[in-house]
Amino acid sequence: MLAHLVTFAWDAPSVDLHALAPEIVVAATLVILLLVDAFTSDDQRWAASSIAGIGLLVALIPVATLAYDGVSRVMFGGGYVVDNYALVLKALFLLSGYIVVLLSTNYIAEGDYWEGEYYQMILASVLGMMVMASARDMISIFVALELLSIPAYMMAAWRKRDLKGNEAGLKYYLMGVFASAIMLYGMSVIYGYTGTTLLAEIAPRIGELASSTPLITLGIVFVLIGFAFKVSAVPFHTWAPDTYEGAPTPVTAFLAVASKAAGFVALMTLLFVGFWGRHDVWEPLIWVLAAVTMFVGNLIALRQTNIVRMLAYSGIAQAGYMLAPLAVAGTSPEAASQALHSIVIYLVIYAAMNLGAFAVVLAVARKTRSAELESFGGLFSYAPGLTVAMSIFLFSLAGIPPAAGWFAKIGIFQALASAGTTSGYVLAVVVAVNSVIAFAYYGRLMRFMWFEEAPDGDTTPIRVPASLTAALVITVAVTLVAGIVPSVVTHFTDPISLLALGN
Amino acid sequence: MNLLDKVWIVPAIMATSFLLILFFGKRAGTKATAAIGIAAVSICLVFSVVVAGQWINRVNHPPTGAALAADIKQANGLTPQTPNEVGSEVNAATTDSGETVATGDAQPSTEAQATTESQATTESQATTESQSTAAEGEHETVPPVVRTVTWFEIGPIHFEAGTLLDGLAAMMLVTVCIISLLVHIYSTEYLHGDERFTHYYAFLSLFTASMLFYVLSSNTLQMLVGWELVGVCSFALIGHWWEEKKNTDAALKAFLTNRVGDMGLIIGVVITFFAAGATSFNVLHINEYALSGGANTTLLLVGALCLFGGVTSKSGQFPLHTWLPDAMAGPTPVSALIHAATMVVAGVYLIARLYAVFFQGLGIGSSSLHYVAFIGGFTTIMGGALAFVQTDLKKVLAYSTISQLGYMVMALGVGAWTAGVFHLFTHAFFKACLFLGAGSVSHACHHTFDMREMGGLRKHMKVTHITFLVATLALAGIVPLAGFWSKDEILAGAAQGQGGGAYTLMLVFGLITAFMTAAYMGRAYWMTFWGEYRGHGTPHESPKVITVPLAILASCAVVFGFLNFPTNFFGLEIPKGLTVRFEHYVQPTFAFPAVQAIDFRPVIAIISTLLAGAGLAAAYIYYERNKGPHGLTGRNRAARAGYTFLENKYYLDTLYTDIIAADTKGPLARAAYWFNQNVLDGIVDGAASVSKKVSVFVYRDVDQLVVDGVVNGTGLVSEESGQFLRRMQTGKVQQYAAILFAGVVVLAGVLVFVV
Amino acid sequence: MKDFLNSWGLTLAMFVPLAGALVMLLVPKAKEHLHKVIALGTSLVVALIGVLLLTNFDYDNGRTLQFVVDKSWIPFINSRYIIGIDGISLPMIALTMLIVPLCIIYSWNHFPEPKNPKAFLILILILETGMIGTFCAQDLILFFVFFEVVLLPMYFMIGVWGGDKRRYAAMKFFLYTLFGSALMIISFMALYFLSDKVPVPGGGFAHTFDMRLLPMAAAGISTSAALWIFGGMFMGFGIKVPMFPFHTWLPDAHTQAPTVGSVILAAVLLKLGTYGFIRIALPILPHAAERWAPFIGLLAVIGIIYGALCCLAQTDMKRLIAFSSVAHMGFVMLGIATLTDFGINAAIFGMVAHGLITGMLFFVAGSAKERFHTLDIARLGGMLKQMPRMGWILGFSVMASLGLPGLAGFWGEFPAILSAYNPGGGLNVGLFRVYMVVAALGTVLAAAYLLWLFQRVAFGTPKEEFAHDPHVHDVSFTEYVAWVPMLVLIVVLGFFPNIIFHVTNPAVSNMVSAFTGTGS
Repeated sequence: MLAHLVTFAWDAPSVDLHALAPEIVVAATLVILLLVDAFTSDDQRWAASSIAGIGLLVALIPVATLAYDGVSRVMFGGGYVVDNYALVLKALFLLSGYIVVLLSTNYIAEGDYWEGEYYQMILASVLGMMVMASARDMISIFVALELLSIPAYMMAAWRKRDLKGNEAGLKYYLMGVFASAIMLYGMSVIYGYTGTTLLAEIAPRIGELASSTPLITLGIVFVLIGFAFKVSAVPFHTWAPDTYEGAPTPVTAFLAVASKAAGFVALMTLLFVGFWGRHDVWEPLIWVLAAVTMFVGNLIALRQTNIVRMLAYSGIAQAGYMLAPLAVAGTSPEAASQALHSIVIYLVIYAAMNLGAFAVVLAVARKTRSAELESFGGLFSYAPGLTVAMSIFLFSLAGIPPAAGWFAKIGIFQALASAGTTSGYVLAVVVAVNSVIAFAYYGRLMRFMWFEEAPDGDTTPIRVPASLTAALVITVAVTLVAGIVPSVVTHFTDPISLLALGN
Repeated sequence: MNLLDKVWIVPAIMATSFLLILFFGKRAGTKATAAIGIAAVSICLVFSVVVAGQWINRVNHPPTGAALAADIKQANGLTPQTPNEVGSEVNAATTDSGETVATGDAQPSTEAQATTESQATTESQATTESQSTAAEGEHETVPPVVRTVTWFEIGPIHFEAGTLLDGLAAMMLVTVCIISLLVHIYSTEYLHGDERFTHYYAFLSLFTASMLFYVLSSNTLQMLVGWELVGVCSFALIGHWWEEKKNTDAALKAFLTNRVGDMGLIIGVVITFFAAGATSFNVLHINEYALSGGANTTLLLVGALCLFGGVTSKSGQFPLHTWLPDAMAGPTPVSALIHAATMVVAGVYLIARLYAVFFQGLGIGSSSLHYVAFIGGFTTIMGGALAFVQTDLKKVLAYSTISQLGYMVMALGVGAWTAGVFHLFTHAFFKACLFLGAGSVSHACHHTFDMREMGGLRKHMKVTHITFLVATLALAGIVPLAGFWSKDEILAGAAQGQGGGAYTLMLVFGLITAFMTAAYMGRAYWMTFWGEYRGHGTPHESPKVITVPLAILASCAVVFGFLNFPTNFFGLEIPKGLTVRFEHYVQPTFAFPAVQAIDFRPVIAIISTLLAGAGLAAAYIYYERNKGPHGLTGRNRAARAGYTFLENKYYLDTLYTDIIAADTKGPLARAAYWFNQNVLDGIVDGAASVSKKVSVFVYRDVDQLVVDGVVNGTGLVSEESGQFLRRMQTGKVQQYAAILFAGVVVLAGVLVFVV
Repeated sequence: MKDFLNSWGLTLAMFVPLAGALVMLLVPKAKEHLHKVIALGTSLVVALIGVLLLTNFDYDNGRTLQFVVDKSWIPFINSRYIIGIDGISLPMIALTMLIVPLCIIYSWNHFPEPKNPKAFLILILILETGMIGTFCAQDLILFFVFFEVVLLPMYFMIGVWGGDKRRYAAMKFFLYTLFGSALMIISFMALYFLSDKVPVPGGGFAHTFDMRLLPMAAAGISTSAALWIFGGMFMGFGIKVPMFPFHTWLPDAHTQAPTVGSVILAAVLLKLGTYGFIRIALPILPHAAERWAPFIGLLAVIGIIYGALCCLAQTDMKRLIAFSSVAHMGFVMLGIATLTDFGINAAIFGMVAHGLITGMLFFVAGSAKERFHTLDIARLGGMLKQMPRMGWILGFSVMASLGLPGLAGFWGEFPAILSAYNPGGGLNVGLFRVYMVVAALGTVLAAAYLLWLFQRVAFGTPKEEFAHDPHVHDVSFTEYVAWVPMLVLIVVLGFFPNIIFHVTNPAVSNMVSAFTGTGS
């Protein structure tokens, strides 16, 4: 086994440049940004955002070509795989990264922040996520995780002159570190037992160890907890609200969408590839996590008077929905693939609607300089467009047709029902009940926008900058189209699969 | 040209008149409005007289052979899908009447089918008749004329709607049209200058239309429609002067009381429908079933009782009669038309129509269950008694109507079908006459009906007086006026009973009522027309428009009695062609139970006449001569008690209005609503508030206990020392680590050692 | 023409309103009149399509779906864009297409506060799309989508244009219905996975949401599972109907909603629930339905009596009418619960009749509110004296509502009562005969509360405060235009019930044949 590693270390791995092209493009953009940042004066910093945006879009090209090519490419002895699953998610990360850039442009430019570094951080983080999508090896997963997290820590603390900002960053950082530590410990335990870090090889071995050795269980649990933190599942969510509130809103959007998605990606890879054999361990764990996360997230969101915090808690609840299918994924390969598909679909739609919601919050905050619920009072009277957009996103989050959210929820219900187990149906009912609770606070925000008067009677219209408008248009379009013709999403998610699902 | 199958035109005409008045009445003005109405009714009257004539002709020259077969096929109202049932049922009926026929079920062609049916029916009916009316034996099966169209279809069945015309229907047609016409004319004067003249005439037309629709209905469902429509018209017309709450209360009471009865009617219709094979609502079909041997008598009994619920309310039988007196709040012509002559007899008509159901269901003449007869008999006495304590002339007449309706119901209950229907017929005219007379009187006396403010009017209004007197005598049953013949036939029927003296009690009821009727009518008559005038102003005779109808009605009250002149009237020799014409032409001979004809009974005739005379005499002595135990109620406790008991109408109104209605409207409803708001809604809102509370708890005491607690803590510290690092090192890290690791340990522990 | 209708008729009917709404989005808010014209025009176009559909509908085989379109929609869950109408959905669609233009005409001159006709009319049009879509959908997911789409506009209508407690009412309405539909969709999913796979166009077999195939495919589901699934649907549809005890959202929603909102709510939205029962729950799970029917019947008759009693306790006209809806829908549900062709035909007729009649009552109530600025029954009175025409129209509607034979309401009530005498599906006859008697008692109470309302509102003389109020004028032109069609229909349907029975009967008999035992 050690020998294996040694030899593995020595012979040069065959690198498939086409497969790595997306990552390379992003990395290159990162370098370009560095240079531009170094050699331009402050008054040309605006270039940074455009460069970053373009870079992210360009990176989509190889993704497209790879998808068109269609063969799944395996590298580094199975440690790095580029298949449809990876590609779909890479595309998702790139796009949401792009949207975040759009959201950031004016926000960062108008505040006194370092623009260059900011976009470098985003790119670095996106890069980490893309690696995460392909990683099939515990080491590479860990590397990817750190690569996407560390820049996120910094971005969270970007408003360095603001105490809340620092608090946000530091909280996020410390909690992240603890989580990583625990996860690493879990990984090492598993490695100790299976003697490999390759998920594909771990699966059969822990499967063999039929007699559930507590340490394997411990390892799995620890690893999962590490990612439970990333996806801010209760009780590992404590950082989220404060961080979301303290961080710059675009960063919040980024954390709430992209990094959460990355967490789920890793989680699915681990469960379906690595820990497939031991669903008896992780199914109950995730069942509990999902249920608790939904309830706590929604119930707390009921109390929020700050929209960003509300969205944060709603995001926690949404994470709960997304966790739910995993709780029954183990019963059968069909259930597993249902779960996989439903979660990926949910991630895509969730990205669109949540980013959109944050975009509206940003736009409104430009006028009201606040993210309090009251500040949305009477929005309909002076910003009908934004109101309608926000309503679409909120309905989507609540899962009301025709906004895309309903289809995401249907996917969850379907995955839960597909298992055909009582626990599955019970969890489905839990989701149902929660989606009702959830509408209570989405509806509350809706009430302020539609039914209430403007707080200070100030009804001067809001001027929405181009980049924000673009972001809004994209997200609204995706939300509605995906809701009315869901096949545009499923068309991309259909072919995905994970290796272990066969065996 | 044969109008018998075109009678649908009659209600149609009235409906048109209603629409015309409704849409153009206001613009056209009162004269035109009245003209439209009167014209319409006149046409209808002509039409109905012709129809009646053609029916008589049909009875004299009954159809035979193919025509008969076709008529029967048309009449028994079965949908073509199920011809076999017809055959079998008719055969059943036949065997029931103890006659065996060669059933034609085997024969394929429906035509042949029909003929055999016809034979079967003919023979069966013929035998029925030969049993019942052996006396004259000139009866043959004359199937009613039925013409139907598909009304609606459910499942495989097409339900028909159409007209059923036989003697009974024709008789009602003529009666309704005559009285309606007279009322239309009379009202032009009586309602002169009324602000809602148009509205009044519109509803008069609508009522006539609905009533005709009802009597011509070929199936029970249609009858239900007509039944309710006349109810609505009565509602609207009772509430004609709806500014006063008293009137609207009366209207509501009338409608709701009837609604209670309708509950029974609806269920009765449902039961008879299912009993008769759930294929048709057709009246004749149901009757045929009831007569067929295979009939389920329990169902028939329940059905008959439920139907009688409807009769009870509509025809003011005890205990649902209470609405009728209040209904006098409406204009007097309306009371004459609706609440005396026509609508209130709808119930009686229902029994007559579905007589087979009642006959078989209640086992009239065979069993000891005399429900209908008893209720009828009891009602007639009860109503009569109440009529004594009324000072309002119309109320007297109202209670008298109740009493007379009881008479009719009793007649049908004892199996004296013709007698009951004949009394319905005669009563319509003299009671209408009385009401219109009362109206004329109040017209003269400044619109009061209080007899204490009248008196001595015979000097002032001759015509009204004479007509009123005639009608009174007719109602009292004095020879030779109409009332005498019909009432006497009923008594004879009660005495004879079906199959021998089962109804002595009813006979007693009848005789007592005969006395009471005469007495209270005498009282009313003398209080109104004799003595000195007690009102103010000088009364004056009403104009021709009012008196002429009175005269016509009075003459009807004189002559119509002879239509059913008994065969052996004190052994007089009268050609067959003149006796019991009414029975001959009106009593159905198709799908009709074997009732016995009633022979004239001299003894009873004499007794009843004497009683009536005694009644009048008593009234004369007591009220005109002022003899007798006056002020008895003041002296005798028992008498006073009885009097108050009567004055309070047996406390039935108290029971209905103050106890049942009030409690439903009040406590019960409020309780239900309270339950709704505080329990059901409470649960819903409760769920919401609970989740809110939980969220508060989770958020403040669990979530933020750590997070915000720390933040605030740091905030505090930061105020002491604005040092950034220092602030960041206070506790929060440990706090977070604490939760994180706590979570880890708990979950790990659970999963490792439990799972 | 026929071909065009076959392929596009329903789709157009569903999405023309949406197109109109989009056009209006582009028109500036200030051009109110233009907005009204566009909205009315759109709804009239839809009505025209409806007329074409009615004329081209093949009534001789109303049991089969017509104008069917079957296109791929979400291959991922094998959910297809399947639309089509048969005798059951046709009356409902016709009703919808009639009511919407009338509502637009009615609100022509008096929009509730805050005016903003643009938003209001757009919402109505979206609502129309949702309603028509629900009645056309033949795929469970498609049905669910439209079923939910209907919520949004109504939520805003109540919330923005409603009365004083509008926020509470709107939220309650939304959450309550959402809860039901969430459980309903779980049932759909369970149905999807538990039913047998069916062949798919592309070849091979897959689970399906196709309502046409599910009755066969679902035959294999175990009894207990079927009962649970039916339970989920029961929650979804029962709350929408609403059935006792899930009705408490209705009075608030009705009372707070603007007039037009109440009318549409009563006329069409409530029918979505009963329609769901007839279209989905009963045919797909007949045997579970047989097990549930006694329970449904019980709740139905409780609703009849209970609603009536609550009506008697009301002091607010609109709230009273709202509670009367609970009672009337009780009759509809009783008819459905009998599982007989009589009962279900009656139910459909009752749905249409209730739509017209209660719609009228809400119209009148709204107009009264507009004139008196209150619906407190104690303060009203003498309507017949002050505005005779409206008074008589109210009286007419009241008579129709209490199920007067000869008017539309009767054909919803009487056959329902009749069918309860002899229920199908091997149900307990004795039990249902008890239901029959209770329901019959309900008709008495109905007469009581409605006539009592009429007496207090229309009879008597006007109260001083309004006696000389210039605002109080008789029926206006727009009101006439909006009301006359409904009034005429109430009479016509009352005398020629076959207009509807003829359409619904084939489809219903077809469906009833699925139940064990035979009723009438």
